[in-house]
Amino acid sequence: MTEMWVNMGPQHPMTHGLWNLRVRIEGEIIKDVEPEMGYLHRGIEKISEDRHYNEIITLMDRTCYVAGLSWEHLFIVAAEQALHVTPPERAEYIRVMSAELQRIASHLMWYSAFVQDLGLMTPFLYGMRDRDLILDLFQSYTGGRLTYEYMRVGGVRSDLPLGFTQRCRQVVDWLMDRFVEYDQLCLSSTIFHERCDGLGVLLEPEAVAYGVTGPMLRSAGSRRDLRKDRPYSVYDQVQFDVATATTADVTGRYLVRMEEMRQSVRIVRQCLDWLDDHPGPVMADHLPRWLGAPYAPMGNESYLLKRNYPTGVGLSMIEEPHGEAGAYVVNDGGEHPYRVKFRSPVLINIWAAKRYLPGYRVADIPPIMGSVDVCVGECDR
Amino acid sequence: MSNVSLYSVAYTLSSVLLGALAHLFPAPIHGWLISGTVVTALAAVIFAAILLLASMLNTILLIWYERKLLGRFMDRRGAMHVGYAGLLQNFADGLKLFRKDTVRPGQADPLGFWLSPTAYMVTSLVIFGLLPISTGWNGGSLPLTLLLALVIFSFAPLFIFLGAWASNNKYSLIGGMRSAAQMIAYEVPILLAVVAVVVLAGTFDLNTIVLEQRNYWFWAPLFLALIVFLTGMLAEMERIPFDLPEAEAELVEGWNTEYGGMLFAFFMLADYLRALVGSILVVLLFLGGWTLPSYVPAALTSFPLAGIVWFMVKTYLVFGLFVWVRASLPRIRTDQLLRLGWMRMVPLALLSVLLAALVVLSHCLPLIGCVPSMGG
Repeated sequence: MTEMWVNMGPQHPMTHGLWNLRVRIEGEIIKDVEPEMGYLHRGIEKISEDRHYNEIITLMDRTCYVAGLSWEHLFIVAAEQALHVTPPERAEYIRVMSAELQRIASHLMWYSAFVQDLGLMTPFLYGMRDRDLILDLFQSYTGGRLTYEYMRVGGVRSDLPLGFTQRCRQVVDWLMDRFVEYDQLCLSSTIFHERCDGLGVLLEPEAVAYGVTGPMLRSAGSRRDLRKDRPYSVYDQVQFDVATATTADVTGRYLVRMEEMRQSVRIVRQCLDWLDDHPGPVMADHLPRWLGAPYAPMGNESYLLKRNYPTGVGLSMIEEPHGEAGAYVVNDGGEHPYRVKFRSPVLINIWAAKRYLPGYRVADIPPIMGSVDVCVGECDR
Repeated sequence: MSNVSLYSVAYTLSSVLLGALAHLFPAPIHGWLISGTVVTALAAVIFAAILLLASMLNTILLIWYERKLLGRFMDRRGAMHVGYAGLLQNFADGLKLFRKDTVRPGQADPLGFWLSPTAYMVTSLVIFGLLPISTGWNGGSLPLTLLLALVIFSFAPLFIFLGAWASNNKYSLIGGMRSAAQMIAYEVPILLAVVAVVVLAGTFDLNTIVLEQRNYWFWAPLFLALIVFLTGMLAEMERIPFDLPEAEAELVEGWNTEYGGMLFAFFMLADYLRALVGSILVVLLFLGGWTLPSYVPAALTSFPLAGIVWFMVKTYLVFGLFVWVRASLPRIRTDQLLRLGWMRMVPLALLSVLLAALVVLSHCLPLIGCVPSMGG
C-alpha cells in the first residue's frame, strides 16, 4: 500500500477537542505525524491585559475547562506575587483542597475518555458518574459545576458551607473504593495490556528534551513534581507521595494517574482535617480598594487612574493535572495587568507526538493520544 | 403440537385468501386462481413475508434488549421514554433515519455505494429462510443447510469492502481492509469448530443436528469448539472486542463513515440481523435448539409453540452473553486478532475436531457416560 496523509481532526473522536493530527501512514504503520494546533485560540492572554485581576479568573475557568480551579489557582498565585498580597492560611488550604479535588475530577475525565478510545464503554460511564460527585461538591461551595469563578486575589470568594467536610469525606471514601473497581476493569484484562503495553514510549531524556511534564514525564521514571520540588500554597504542609512508573508507555501513564488520584484523596483528607480545626477568615485584609470592585464606579475613573500602587512581577509554576503550568503576570501599578503569559503543558506534550507516535499503528493512535490527556482549551488559550 | 409448520400455515392462508378472491371473478380466472401453482406461489410469498416480519421484529427487539442490558451493566437505565420501558424507541429511531436524506459523496462510485448496503441487508435476511427455529419453521430441509448458511453469512466482508472502497474515503478504505483481514482470521477457526459439530452429528442438516442432541447437548463434549465458535461469531458480527473495522475511536465508524440516513439504518439493522443469526447458530449447534433435556417436566415443553419460546429464550441468553462481553472488554488490534485466530483458535478448533472424533469412535461421553444410541 502506498503512503498517504490522513487528517485526524479537527473533528475526530480521537482528538477530544479541536485540533488536527496529520498522519502519514503506510498501510497501518505510522510514518510521520504533524500536530496542528490553534483551532481554539481565543487570545486569552491578550484579553487579560484589559481586565481587572479578579475578572481574569473567569477566563481561567475557560482556559482549561476540565481543570478550572487548577488554572484559577495558577493565576492567583502569580497575581498575588505581582500585587504583594498574602492570603490567609485557611484560604490556601481551601485552594489546595479544591485543586486536588479538581485533579481527581480531571483524571476521571481523562480515564473516561481514555477507556472509551480503547472501546470500553462501561468504565467510561463509571468515570463520568463518579466525576459528577465531585462536581456536586464544587457546586455546593462555588455554585458552578464547570466554570467556578471561586478564587480571588487575596483569598477565596466564600467559606465552605456547613457540613461540607463531612460530605466531602463521604465522597472521597466512595471514590477510593471505585478506584479499585477501575483497576479491575482495566488492568485485569489481557486485551488492555495487549493494547497498552509498550506503546507510545517516550523515555526520560527525550521527554526532558521536549519539555514534556506531568504524568507523562513521571511515567518515564522521573520524580519531578512541582508540589514537592517547588512547593506553592501549603503543599509543604501536607503529606503525599509522588506517583511514578518506569515503563514510559501508555500503561505507565495509566498507573501514574491512578496513583495520583489516590494521593490526591490523601491530600484532600489532610486539608479537610485542618479546615475542621482552624476556622477563620478566607479573604485577606487591607486589599487595595479596586481589587474588590471589578468595575470602576461611573464618573469616577480619574480616581482609579491616579492611584499609585507598587508595581511587581509574579511568576507561578504549579503542578496542574495535565503537567506543569506556568503563569507570568506583570503589574505596572494599573488596575489591569500589563502582561500575562501562560505556559501550557498540553501543547508541549502534544508536540512531542512527533517523537512518540511514529512506528506504531493507526489503531494505536487513540490509546497513545488518550494517554497524553489532551485539553485543547489550555493548549490554544 | 409441532405438526403445524410455518409453510402449512402460509399455504392455508394463501388458499383461503385466493378462494375468497376467486369468487369475484368469472370461471376461467376463478379456476386459475385456485389452481395449485398460484396457491403455492402465494404461499411462498406469504411464507417469506412472515419470515421477514418475524426476523425484523426480533431484530428490533434485540436492539432494545441490548440497549437495556448494556444500560444495566453501565449503571444506567437505557431507553426509557418512548413506549413502555423504551420498547418503541427503536421504531422512533428508525422513523427518524427513514426521513433523513441519503447523501452520496460526489466522488463516490454510485453502483458500489448503493449496492453494498442492499446486498449486506439481503444476504443477512436470506439466512433466516435456512435456519430452523423450531420443527417445521424453516423453508425446508436441505442436506447442506449449515454449510449454505455459513457461506452466505461470510459474504458480508466482501460487501463491506465494496462499500468502503466505493465511498472513496480514507477511513472507509482502512476499515474495509481491516474487515477483509479480519475475515481471514476468523473464518477458518469457525469452520473447524463447525466441523467438530458435524463430525459428532454426522450431518450438515440443521434439523438433524438438533435432533441428534436429544441425548446430550453438544456443548458438553465440544466445549472447546463452543468457545472457538463464540469468539469467531463475535468477530463475524463485528462486535466489541472485534469491531475494529468500524473502530469509532480512530476510524470514525470505519467503513460506514459515509453512509447516512436509511443506508446507515440498513447497515445497523443488518448488523443486528447478523448478531441474531450468530446467536441462533450457537443455539442450534451447541445448545440443543428448541429441545429441552428430558428431565424437565413435560408441562414446560408441551404448551403451544413451546419449541419457539424455548428457542428464543436460549437465543436471547446467548446474545446477552455477547452484550456482556461488549460491556466489559476493550477493542483489540488487527494484527492481534490475526495472531489470536491462527495461533490460538485454530489449534483449539483442531483439538475439538479430534475430541469429536474420539467421542464418535468410543460412543462415550466424558460427562454422561456411554450412550448406546449415538445415531449419526
